Amino acid sequence: MPLPPEARRRGKPLDLRPRLLLAVLAPLMIVFAISVALDYRLARETADAAFDQSLADAALDIAAHVSSASGSPPSVKLSAEAEAMLRSDPADRIYFAIRDDAGRLLAGDADLPDRRPADAGPPQFIDTVFRESPVRAAVYRRDSANGSVTITLAETLAKRTTARRRILTAMIVPNLIVVLATLLAVYVGVRQGLAPLQTVEREIATRSPMDLRELDVATTPREVRPMVSRLNELFRMLREASAAQQRFLADAAHQLRTPLAGLQTQLDLASSEGCFASDAERLTRIEDATGRIGHLVDQLLVYARAESTTALTQVFEPVPPADLAEKAASLFLDRALSKHIDLGFEVDPAEIDGVPWMLREAIANLLDNALRHTPEYGVVTLRSGTRDRRGFIEVEDSGPGIAPGERERVFERFYRIPGSGDQGCGLGLAIVREIATLHRAAIELADSPGGGLRVTLLFPPAPATDDSR
Amino acid sequence: MRILVVEDDVLMANGLKQGLARAGYTVDVAPSAETAEASLLTEEFDLAVVDIGLPKADGLTLIRQLRSRGNRLPVLVLSARGTLEDTVSGLDIGADDYMAKPFRLPELTARIRALIRRSRSVASACLAHGRLILNINSHAATLDGQPLELTNREWAILEALLIASPDVVSKHRLLQSLAGWDKDITPNAIEVHVSRLRAKLSAACVEIRTVRGIGYRIDAPAT
Repeated sequence: MPLPPEARRRGKPLDLRPRLLLAVLAPLMIVFAISVALDYRLARETADAAFDQSLADAALDIAAHVSSASGSPPSVKLSAEAEAMLRSDPADRIYFAIRDDAGRLLAGDADLPDRRPADAGPPQFIDTVFRESPVRAAVYRRDSANGSVTITLAETLAKRTTARRRILTAMIVPNLIVVLATLLAVYVGVRQGLAPLQTVEREIATRSPMDLRELDVATTPREVRPMVSRLNELFRMLREASAAQQRFLADAAHQLRTPLAGLQTQLDLASSEGCFASDAERLTRIEDATGRIGHLVDQLLVYARAESTTALTQVFEPVPPADLAEKAASLFLDRALSKHIDLGFEVDPAEIDGVPWMLREAIANLLDNALRHTPEYGVVTLRSGTRDRRGFIEVEDSGPGIAPGERERVFERFYRIPGSGDQGCGLGLAIVREIATLHRAAIELADSPGGGLRVTLLFPPAPATDDSR
Repeated sequence: MRILVVEDDVLMANGLKQGLARAGYTVDVAPSAETAEASLLTEEFDLAVVDIGLPKADGLTLIRQLRSRGNRLPVLVLSARGTLEDTVSGLDIGADDYMAKPFRLPELTARIRALIRRSRSVASACLAHGRLILNINSHAATLDGQPLELTNREWAILEALLIASPDVVSKHRLLQSLAGWDKDITPNAIEVHVSRLRAKLSAACVEIRTVRGIGYRIDAPAT
């Protein structure tokens, strides 16, 4: 069913499932990201502290090689082996410099930046760049009687980078697994949680538009029960309104037809008693008018009963076209014979689901129109069959047809084609349209090969093979 | 010939009484199902004309009670509701014919005549159509009292058409009614039998009319 225009303009609201998934997963992802970031920082700091500690220890070791005998300036006794050992490291390059008070290099790499601290104390750590590589340096100043020395020990960051990468991997992989597992769990959970809703939706979607039975509240989850109950209430109200309207129509029909029948009987009596002997023409006019009132009352009632709001309680069933044709033949043969019209039938089987009395009315109205407008010695044919998997019923005549410009208007209530001299009540095609709408059938007006009109009712495909839903 | 009219509307009841009296019937009028019930228990009628919309118990209830007592009185139902559904429910309950209000008096009297004739032919197991009479029990047909030779298939087709008259009988339905003892019959064979029947009935003023594409009908006999 097409959306009403206003609904289309507003845009499609987010469906329940994506909405739920988004509401659950978005905060979850943020929490995971923060947690990973915090964990990573903590682990990195711990690792860095351990590396710094070993750097500081090495700086203290170097300090042990500085002589601190009083009276002589500090000197360094560092053997080549000791220096080689100091500098040996599987991953990083090690640089060092020992400087005295004045900043003179006592041993090590002269180009290592001089960052002597103002006071003695525990080793301090500096990040800097040396020989185009970032390095981490421990600076340790030792004061003694013969002056202070500053030991700077720097190492490149290969070990630390490797360690960080490992920590990061160790943090992210399990977290990622948890995230994916959560994603899956939430997705499956939401799907399953919403399954009862889908059941309700499916039950409503697959119903015929006239099925107003209540939905079973007991099998729906508690959360949607208020909604289903409201729906049921609506169904009940529609049912009651429809039933009330049906009752009203039955009463109205009775009230209108009984006096009309009385009038007709009295008229027939009067004419048979010769009351109109002197004025036969007047009798014909009165009888004609009475007949038209009767027909109008019938048509109005049929129209009202076929209107969608009243027809909500009607039940669909398979209707064989052959049965419809046989009834129509019995009903209209005499009228056709009186105008010498060749009334014929070309009935092929078709699967048509509908309300039998409505389909009979629709055909009766189409045949009534056809016989009314077809001149004497014309041809009227009722045809049925299947076209593109859709059942159809059509009535073809050899009358004057309907000009293309008039074809929409003829379905309006009480419309008569100007100048046609139509004696009908103007409801016939309006009734046919109401009935077609209710059966979701399309009405096609076309020129018949014989020059007259062809009206086709094209029914929707039978539900058993309906794959459009 | 006595008819019971069950109708609460005074104008209508009055018109029916006069109209049927003019057609030569004796007419009793009952304004409710209850009074009708009382009359039916004590009096003998040849036919009842029953309006569905009655003040207390409706016409359908009245017919149901009548049939539950095993009374086979022919009943013609009148309805102001006038839908085919009412027809179906009325005929299911046991009414013999149905007319929607408003109706023409001549048509009502014609239907009443047909109903009375039919109820008599059921009693005598005869189907009569003008000068043609089919005796269902003896399977003998007579035209103007003279025996008419019919084959089994011709008999079956004529019987089906006469029972349905003046309604149209589809070829499909004829096939079904013959299929019980004649499995191989084809639509073409039906056409052959019908044309032979026509030849045999040509003297009887019984016309079997072909309705293009659907079947046949025997027109109501001229009255």
